[in-house]
Amino acid sequence: MNSLSPEVALSRISPELRPLLCSVVRNGRVGLDSSSCLRITDLKSGCTSLMPGPCCDRFKLHIPYAGETLKWDIIFNAKDPELPPDFIFGEDADFLPEPSELPHLVSWDAGKPECLLQLVKELLQQYHQYQCQRLRDSSRLLFEYGSLLEDPNYGRSMEIYAGRKNSWTGEFSARFLLRLPVDFSNIPVYLLKDTALDPGEDVALLSVSFEDAEATQVFPKLYLSPSIEHALGGSSALHIPAFPSGGCLIDYVPQVCQLLTNKVQYVIQGYHKRREYIAAFLSHFGMGVVEYDAVGFTKLTLLLMWKDFCFLVHVDLPLYFPRDQPTLTFQSIYHFTSSGQLYSQVQKSYPYSPRWDGNEMAKRPHLIAGEQSLS
Amino acid sequence: SCEVLACAKDCGLGAYVSIMAASISGYTFSSVCYHSANSNSDHEGFLLGEVRQEETLSISDSHIGSSELLNVIEVHNHEPCAQLFSFYDYAGNVNEENLNRILKDRRKNVIGWYRFRRNTQQQMSFREQVIHKQLTHILGIPDLVFLLFSFISTANSSTHALEYVLFRPNRNYNQRISLSIPNLGNTSQQEYKVSSVPNTSKNYTSVIKEHGTEFFDKDGVMKDIRAIFQVYSALQERVQAVCCEVDQSERVREKIQEEVNKLKEEIALRKRNSAEEERRLQEAAAVTLPDNSALPDSSPSSLTRVVLSGPSVEPSLERPVNSSSPPVYSTTLPPDSPSAILLPRPQAVGSPGHPSPSLGLGNGDGSSSDSLNRQAIGQEDPEDGDDDDEDSSEYENLVSEQSQAPSLTETVTLGRPATLWPDGDAHSPPGS
Repeated sequence: MNSLSPEVALSRISPELRPLLCSVVRNGRVGLDSSSCLRITDLKSGCTSLMPGPCCDRFKLHIPYAGETLKWDIIFNAKDPELPPDFIFGEDADFLPEPSELPHLVSWDAGKPECLLQLVKELLQQYHQYQCQRLRDSSRLLFEYGSLLEDPNYGRSMEIYAGRKNSWTGEFSARFLLRLPVDFSNIPVYLLKDTALDPGEDVALLSVSFEDAEATQVFPKLYLSPSIEHALGGSSALHIPAFPSGGCLIDYVPQVCQLLTNKVQYVIQGYHKRREYIAAFLSHFGMGVVEYDAVGFTKLTLLLMWKDFCFLVHVDLPLYFPRDQPTLTFQSIYHFTSSGQLYSQVQKSYPYSPRWDGNEMAKRPHLIAGEQSLS
Repeated sequence: SCEVLACAKDCGLGAYVSIMAASISGYTFSSVCYHSANSNSDHEGFLLGEVRQEETLSISDSHIGSSELLNVIEVHNHEPCAQLFSFYDYAGNVNEENLNRILKDRRKNVIGWYRFRRNTQQQMSFREQVIHKQLTHILGIPDLVFLLFSFISTANSSTHALEYVLFRPNRNYNQRISLSIPNLGNTSQQEYKVSSVPNTSKNYTSVIKEHGTEFFDKDGVMKDIRAIFQVYSALQERVQAVCCEVDQSERVREKIQEEVNKLKEEIALRKRNSAEEERRLQEAAAVTLPDNSALPDSSPSSLTRVVLSGPSVEPSLERPVNSSSPPVYSTTLPPDSPSAILLPRPQAVGSPGHPSPSLGLGNGDGSSSDSLNRQAIGQEDPEDGDDDDEDSSEYENLVSEQSQAPSLTETVTLGRPATLWPDGDAHSPPGS
């Protein structure tokens, strides 16, 4: 599918319709999965071929929804740009929203650039209603939906896609996409800043696919926005427990939520703990500190002296500190290895307990350092 | 048509008019295309026409009749809308006032509406579905149809395709109907078909009224047709008359045939008797004069020959209807007029060669086979059109024969007038 970059799409569209499309293409995030934005393809014109370009006024809009991509045709008329567009809802031939439920259609104002985007959002809401109606074919899934709806945590941010019934086997499938109400606000900013992509909103989505109406084949999947994923330590953070057979969403989802929350807590805690650790070291060693990571508190380098023997100690603090032990690297300032590097020795196993506070941890390495320098 | 449809449903006549056919005349179709192609945006309008029901009763050997109801939609005309949203608002609500303003008094002729949009899918859009539902309700047409034109152009504008689909969205299934346009297609192999869609143009009607009397009579039937019908009736009458004549002449001929047969039998009998007598006389004479047997006498030998040939011929009274041996007319001709036999007989293409007249002379005893042959062929005439040449040639000969010997042939030629002469008239022979 020839997906057009926003700029190309905008250049080909009729000038009067450009502002409307601009807001869709630039800011268009609808639905829960706001990381993937709306795409435009198949720009065509409704004018005669004699009309000089650019005069495209109809296109296909790709909308991510509940793990699927909806492809809706939007039809304008370049000759009458003030008129509202028409829609063809792809394969969902049964979907017919009630116009009165679409305020931005009833009072369409082509002068407002975000009118189209708002209309699409309203249509999506109607589409969601339509899909929920389709769940009625399966009482089991309807129950799942109903139970989630009642829970205020999940009820309001849910997208459901009730798949087409397989006419041969009579199979019915559905996908639930839920936004997990996990608070990411306390995650240290430095963790979130490192991503190359536009982070957007920090969101965790849980997608649960039911491949059959009796919920015997259930496939859950966790989606995190890239910054969160990075903050929580990469793709290993995405491991969630399997859906228990015979279980239901109302039990499973909070479980996953809790897991994620715990992880976030760890990370936040880790940050604070590290901070505490380094603060303690600073206070203990004072002038001996060479440098330290003042943003993430992940590293610390000390210059220590033991009986006229000076050496460096590098402390690497892991992400899940204090659960994970910091790594100490002793480096000599006098001696070189055969490869020209300063001689160093890594010390990972030393008496350590995560339950020590910062001060305690600062004291201990003193002794260790002494031992090491002798060796 | 709503009542008819309801009635059909109640009667349980087959499925509830499930089959539908639609046709649009070529000029209406091209007119819609013209309006649409010339608009610089989407275009819409109404379809005017009529819906009628056709019931086809099919009777086959396997079951006693089954009747099928066919709903036929005919598009006579169209009413284009000058602009979009002319009878509905942004929400798709149809305004009945505006609708009436557009349709005026043609509202009762509405059978559907159409829309034209370029480069879009052949599927009803959101607004079209909303409007369609309302139009169905407002106009009170349960089976309102929707004609969708889509115009697809290639990127370099080298090829444009006009696609059209007729929908009946008020059904749950079979929503697409095929639209037939008479004479749109390859007519080089077929004839130009006349469309059943009438021309509702006022101009056409007035011209026809003005000049129609030259072609149509007071009943509205074309004059030529009436004239041709009269010719046909006249021909039919003649054929009937000729049939009667044939019937009569056949009966006469049969009687004559019987007489002839009787006479032949008598002749044969007499011959046998005379031959017997002769033999007895000869035997008696042979006993007295044995040295006369070497005399070559032609008459006894000819008699013998005749005698020998007689019995062989007699049993063959059967009529070889399709015999390949050509008829010989010598039996009806007196032996003293050989010139008649020698008349040139034109050979028809493919006709078997005719025997020399001498053979006919040899059979001068009046053997029946030849006359029978001739009779048979003469009888076949009315049916056998292909043998025209051969038959006509025979008749020419017959004419010449009759002119030569009317007296002898009189009884036989009574049968002749029944045959049709080449010029189409049933002549009676000059003799009678």
